Amino acid sequence: MAAEGVEKTSEDASSSGKVCTRFDLEKETELRFEVEAGEAVDQVDLELQTGMAEVFGSELNRNKKYTFGPGSKIAVFTWQGCSVNLYGKPEVAYVSKDTPMLLYLNTHAALEQMRKQAERENERGPRVMVVGPTDVGKSTVCRMLLSYAVRVGRRPTLVELDVGQSGVSVPGTVSALCIERPADVEESFSVQAPLVYHFGSTTPGTNIKLYNKLTSCLAEVFSQRCEVNRKASVGGCIINTCGWVKGSGYQALVHCASTFQVDVVLVLDHERLYNELKRDLPHFVRVVLLPKSGGVVERSKECRRDARDEKIREYFYGFRGLSFFPFSFEVRFSDVRIYKIGAPSIPDSCLPLGMSQDDTQLKLVPVTPGRDLTYHVLSVSSVEDGDEDARKSIVESPVCGFIVVTNVDTQTQVMKVLSPAPRPLPRHTLLIMDIRFMDMK
Amino acid sequence: MADKNKTGSADNFYNEILSPCELFAARSRSHKIPARGQKDFYPDDSEEQRQRLQQSLDEHWNLIAEERVERLGNLVKATWVPSDRIVELQTPAGKFWQTMGFSAEGKQYLLPEEALYLMECGNLLVLHQDLPLSIQDGYEMFLSSDGVSLQQYQVFGHLKRLGYVVHRFDPSSEPSSYVRQLNLPQSRERGGRQLKRKRSPSPTPTCSHTKTPGESLAENMEDDDKLPESHLMTSAEPPDPQTASQRSAGEGQARTWWMMDAPELEVDKRSSPGSPSGRLRWNFSTIPFPDLGSTSRPRCTVPVDPSLLPRDVTVGVCDLDSWMRKINLRKVKMSLKEQQREKRRRRWDVNKDREVQRCRNWAEYHELLARRQAKRQGRPAHLWNRKVKPLHDPTQPISTSELLDKISVVKSTNLLEGASRLKGSEEWRICFNVYQPDSVADFKKSNPGKPYSRMCVCSFDGPVPDLRVIKQLAFQSGDVLVVYAVVDHGDISFYTFKDFQLPRDVYT
Repeated sequence: MAAEGVEKTSEDASSSGKVCTRFDLEKETELRFEVEAGEAVDQVDLELQTGMAEVFGSELNRNKKYTFGPGSKIAVFTWQGCSVNLYGKPEVAYVSKDTPMLLYLNTHAALEQMRKQAERENERGPRVMVVGPTDVGKSTVCRMLLSYAVRVGRRPTLVELDVGQSGVSVPGTVSALCIERPADVEESFSVQAPLVYHFGSTTPGTNIKLYNKLTSCLAEVFSQRCEVNRKASVGGCIINTCGWVKGSGYQALVHCASTFQVDVVLVLDHERLYNELKRDLPHFVRVVLLPKSGGVVERSKECRRDARDEKIREYFYGFRGLSFFPFSFEVRFSDVRIYKIGAPSIPDSCLPLGMSQDDTQLKLVPVTPGRDLTYHVLSVSSVEDGDEDARKSIVESPVCGFIVVTNVDTQTQVMKVLSPAPRPLPRHTLLIMDIRFMDMK
Repeated sequence: MADKNKTGSADNFYNEILSPCELFAARSRSHKIPARGQKDFYPDDSEEQRQRLQQSLDEHWNLIAEERVERLGNLVKATWVPSDRIVELQTPAGKFWQTMGFSAEGKQYLLPEEALYLMECGNLLVLHQDLPLSIQDGYEMFLSSDGVSLQQYQVFGHLKRLGYVVHRFDPSSEPSSYVRQLNLPQSRERGGRQLKRKRSPSPTPTCSHTKTPGESLAENMEDDDKLPESHLMTSAEPPDPQTASQRSAGEGQARTWWMMDAPELEVDKRSSPGSPSGRLRWNFSTIPFPDLGSTSRPRCTVPVDPSLLPRDVTVGVCDLDSWMRKINLRKVKMSLKEQQREKRRRRWDVNKDREVQRCRNWAEYHELLARRQAKRQGRPAHLWNRKVKPLHDPTQPISTSELLDKISVVKSTNLLEGASRLKGSEEWRICFNVYQPDSVADFKKSNPGKPYSRMCVCSFDGPVPDLRVIKQLAFQSGDVLVVYAVVDHGDISFYTFKDFQLPRDVYT
């Protein structure tokens, strides 16, 4: 891509002592830059000098420095033209004219038209599902559409079904979040009072029945909310999904469309998926094929794992590990009940008559605390303690928080946990995740 | 001393002294109560039966008409105080004092039912206006419908004759449910303040013992105080459902934990989707999505209405064709099996189905799918598609105990369940505390202890106590059994209700 309009100002050791690069962007172009991943890498600062620009739908303030840490991949888009300064050494930085932002904005306009109609006719607003394979920018499209919706005064809901790379809570969960302000340029959406369900693994394939069940739970709660909150109802929701689009993953997408009663499905850069969904979804659902942005970078396995780790660290320590101070305390085994959702499957011939396999996939299996519990992330279920009836609904109950086991002492029957709140634990029903987190930094 | 049914000159009665031979005759008289014998259910119009009945009746009349002869020295004298409906002892009390009567202001008193019972036993002579009362007088003066009724007295006398200690029941002496919950030591054990057995206000709500004008005024005021309260109680009843509905509405609000909308907004509920007209909800031909996949797409995007966009964003048209070329059309790597499955699937399109085409929204589509699902499962539609459905779906296995729980439509209940919320009724109340006869030896009126049972008196002719009454009285009585004494013209039968659990032989 031609990096036109780039003007390297002299090694202007400005205030930060970093290299400053100036970019002049034309109308409807974007500046893409990546910050090198890894330890001990300089952050890159971004500053808007003139004009107006936005990062994934959130407007930039003029003369304010935005800092992007290692591994960031940012696109600064301008509708009218602008000039920005980059301080520091990005791995790549170039200006591209070739951006699907116009299409995305058109999509937003169509959705907004639907919201207007919903408002007029006292109906519910559009429910949108964003699907596509991995690394096509699903989360980014969701973020942009939500930010635009908030900027025109809507209150949409983000439904995060990507258990691998959750934008709301820690990985291994599905969640819903009411969006009230545009995403922060650095931190994305501010997470306040999300509705989070425990899934326990980073791919839906490990327990697809549970995944579908939780999707239904979220859909139900969202519908209930729409019934009492007109604004939320008109705002509709934007559902971010997993990148798994074959086999059971595809079935999960169809199931999600069905339980959420989606009106629009946005397929990113996958024509086959587009055609399949057109066949399998009833005609009143609008399926739209959209291109992916050329700026989308493929992420490696390591990169994804790092992102997950970072997300968990962010849960305990706050953004960039600065704002929160977690607690560490001991919990007696006898005080808590730890479960894993999903029993190993049994051959059908061994099952009682009429029993089907999904009963085992949603079953709670008590976990005996042991050394192998160390570093596992545990969800604290919001189910009331000591309520026998509630035990059955643990699977369908939201999560009130997460803890990480940092040490297990089998001798004294005590485990040490990292917790965002001081002791005692609010509830004593814990669900174990496959995900582990080592508090290294 | 004699009692007579027919009253003559008062002086004569009082001073009547029997001659030795009369006394002797009185003492040697048979004290047997005539046996009643078998009951003749069926009148057979025979002379024999008529005679037998007549004889039995005569025996009874004779018994009642009999002159009672007592030694003057054994008789305790007392006077009837009609204003207080109470009997004041004039001479020292006899042995009965251990279980009956009470003292107040240095005087000894008997309650009317106790006095009447003692009169019948021949232990008491009650004077009224310096004239002795006959037993018949006693029945007429002491018993009244607002105090102790005849039926209550019959129960009282019956139990007394059997040896039980019977006291009036005082509802205020029962700890309230709150006190019970706290498990405090009972008030009557606190210090010696209430050592003397107090006259209980129930069952006779009589006025105080010597009424000075001031006192009566205070009492009236008390009554006045009570009256508005009761008014309040009754007037508080009608709006009750209203508050209940408010509460339920409040609960409905509490359910929505992440609600932040103004409440009035939720009033204008959306109409059910798609119902007002037969058209589709969204007309996607007028909602321009930049769909690269559709075949009938325009070459460019349509210009966007600026009102739909965030402030300061203006946008031109965009050429779709150039994007079309960039879209991902690469072949997906598939195994042979997957390819075959794919081929099969390609022929199958949901929207070719005419029924699906007729669906206008998800609700209708779900309904259609459910209908088909039911058809496929072979569940008889006449069972499952109506309002009333079978209690259990046999395809969903649950444990035996859960199943039993599910099919037990009538749930078992506890007698005390919900009883604390019931208000007492005027018609039904507990009349007596009953203590066992073997406790008489060390019985203390000041501290009678826990009664053996409590009596509620009902008439054979009157209504049967309903569940509400039974619950309320059982709750009021606490852990003491409530016995219902049913009086059928002198015959008394006792009934009681006990909680029990239906056995369940399934253990989980």
